[in-house]
Amino acid sequence: MLSQSLPSLTRRRLVVVTGKGGTGKSSVTAALGLAAAREGRRVLLVETGRDEVLPRLLGSERAVGYAGRELQPGLTVMRMDPYEALAEYLTLQLGLRRLVRGVLGNKGFRQLLDASPGWRELITLGKIWHLEQQLGPGGGPLFDLIVVDAPATGHGLTLLDVPRVVVAAVRAGPLRVNAERVESMLRDPVATVLLPVALPEELPARETAELVSSVRHGIGIPVDRVIVNGMPAPPFPKGLEDLDGMLEALPPDALIPGLQDPAVLARCAHHVGERHALADEFLGSIGAWTGLPTVPLPLLSGGVHGIADVESLARVLVPKVGAAAT
Amino acid sequence: MSPQIIEMLRQRRIVVCVGCGGVGKTTTSAALGIAAARLGQRTLVLTIDPAKRLADALGLDRLGSEPTRLSHSIHERASVAAPGELSAMMLDMKHTFDGLVERFAKTDAERERILRNPIYEHVSDALAGSAEYSAMEKVFELSESDAFDLIILDTPPSQHALDFLEAPARLMAFLESSIVQLLLHPAFAAGRTGFRWFQRGAARVLQTLEKLSGVGFLEDISEFLLAFEGMSEGFQERAREVQELLFGAETGFVLAAGPGPEASAQATSLLTRLDATGARLEGVILNRVLLWPGEAPDFDLLAGPGQKALAHALGANPRGDDAAAAAISLMRDFAAGVARDAQASLGLAEHASRAGAFLRRIPEFDRDIADLDGLAVMADLLVEAEAQWP
Repeated sequence: MLSQSLPSLTRRRLVVVTGKGGTGKSSVTAALGLAAAREGRRVLLVETGRDEVLPRLLGSERAVGYAGRELQPGLTVMRMDPYEALAEYLTLQLGLRRLVRGVLGNKGFRQLLDASPGWRELITLGKIWHLEQQLGPGGGPLFDLIVVDAPATGHGLTLLDVPRVVVAAVRAGPLRVNAERVESMLRDPVATVLLPVALPEELPARETAELVSSVRHGIGIPVDRVIVNGMPAPPFPKGLEDLDGMLEALPPDALIPGLQDPAVLARCAHHVGERHALADEFLGSIGAWTGLPTVPLPLLSGGVHGIADVESLARVLVPKVGAAAT
Repeated sequence: MSPQIIEMLRQRRIVVCVGCGGVGKTTTSAALGIAAARLGQRTLVLTIDPAKRLADALGLDRLGSEPTRLSHSIHERASVAAPGELSAMMLDMKHTFDGLVERFAKTDAERERILRNPIYEHVSDALAGSAEYSAMEKVFELSESDAFDLIILDTPPSQHALDFLEAPARLMAFLESSIVQLLLHPAFAAGRTGFRWFQRGAARVLQTLEKLSGVGFLEDISEFLLAFEGMSEGFQERAREVQELLFGAETGFVLAAGPGPEASAQATSLLTRLDATGARLEGVILNRVLLWPGEAPDFDLLAGPGQKALAHALGANPRGDDAAAAAISLMRDFAAGVARDAQASLGLAEHASRAGAFLRRIPEFDRDIADLDGLAVMADLLVEAEAQWP
């Protein structure tokens, strides 16, 4: 891809982070949220998984729940709970809080809900739409930026596709109106962007290509770049790019104290070099297959555990996303 | 030889390979299949969504949703000889679910009513984990035939990797649930004297949903359920049988896991949930573990006299000095990676030993396993006593 300047992610209203499980979606969500909050934006991060991951990444051991909590200045995190959102919505519509709670708490009704398709996605998006519309004390929006850590199943595509299906299937009524609102929020090319997160490996690379293609041909949510997480650093220092070759040329009988078998040196170097070349290859493939600029994020050797790791990703993510890509 | 894994491949009729996404579940299933076929088993690998190169390697791209014996040349290259046999199939879950409807529908009209129902397509995707259920259903069907000694099931890549285990029970619970009965027999429920508070409340919520969702939505649901009810007996009976098979003596579970702290933590939590289901854990296969390709260095010596000797051997010049320093730093990073993966796997190893299950470490190869030769090497490693550098 040609190097070009991409609009800043932190200036959007809604970023939906998506990707296969294990690609580091949550780390990217946390890093983007932190970067935007440091720029003075009021940010809401929405966790959609069963277990809360974001609080730990942002320096809190306590769960945030559906009500949410401000974990860093200007950075609020909530966990989306479709049942809570449904209760909230039905209470608004029916005005009978206890009745709604009683019915939703019923085992049989739960089973019906558990088995019913689509409502989770629709109510989740409806709640996000509602949050986006909310005004703060000063009359401006309550949140400048909402970042959704979308579910991994089917790349979160089901989540994004439901409003379109509802608009197509339901002829009239409040449900259709709500779905239309949500759909136009998702398709807004200025406010909204889908942010796929990939790894430089075969399976994630191919799935990202499929994701981008189905987004282009179906849902129509804007997508302008792919984050490629976990890029290993160049294996050999500057000026020693041929280190693996030098080590391979060592005589097999070289006497090196501390090394029983000097060939281990060459094998390790070869392994590290090959893994790096492979990652580079897939970084290139992701760009070629999706036709989108790629933004590589470095592999943190110890994993991403807390606020310090998130900060180091945020530092790479934001100058990079503002400027250029491969 | 690792007797435990060999015993599993010889004695079980079904081996279910579970794991979180991206840990090499499909690769592991295929390599287990080769290992079993080499032991003389007529083996079927039932996979869901293999990476393209792996599918090509097995000739899966040309397969439909029926088992196909892999070609003679694939048998040869994988060192599989008679009586061992290797077949593979790719599961098309939607197709399987349609097949169920076709089988259990009592009349043609009932079948058509379901397949044409506007919400069937979505319901069949989401109904009680039907995708997962379909996978189990297919395994059951195949296990009833005598064509295979062993079926290796690569489970669907779902967010909640064990959903499929609960799928039969959930499907049964759903069909028996009071709300489904209410939807099926609204007149009956309303006519009962003293009909319960819940039903009044539920009816009210349903009315509201109807109001919100526009005309016809609940009608479609009710019609779908009514049509479905005719088949529910067949479904429930089958779900029970599938469950018995899954948790019976003929089936064993293998957990595939990735390296590193995060993947190990995910795998451990998956194991805990697997235990709770009562499934029999046979083993844990830890993929892509960083291992020393030979004897590990003694860093005390290497960083002292070793560095001088290395610099000398690399050319007694400043570049040799730099290269020796860089090589030692690379070795230290490598050592840190080895230690990290070893540390991360401790919990899994402990869990496996408590369950009496085996633990295999498969080293990270220079390139990812993406072809038949790679699978054959992995099959070797699976049955070896100690993981070796390939």
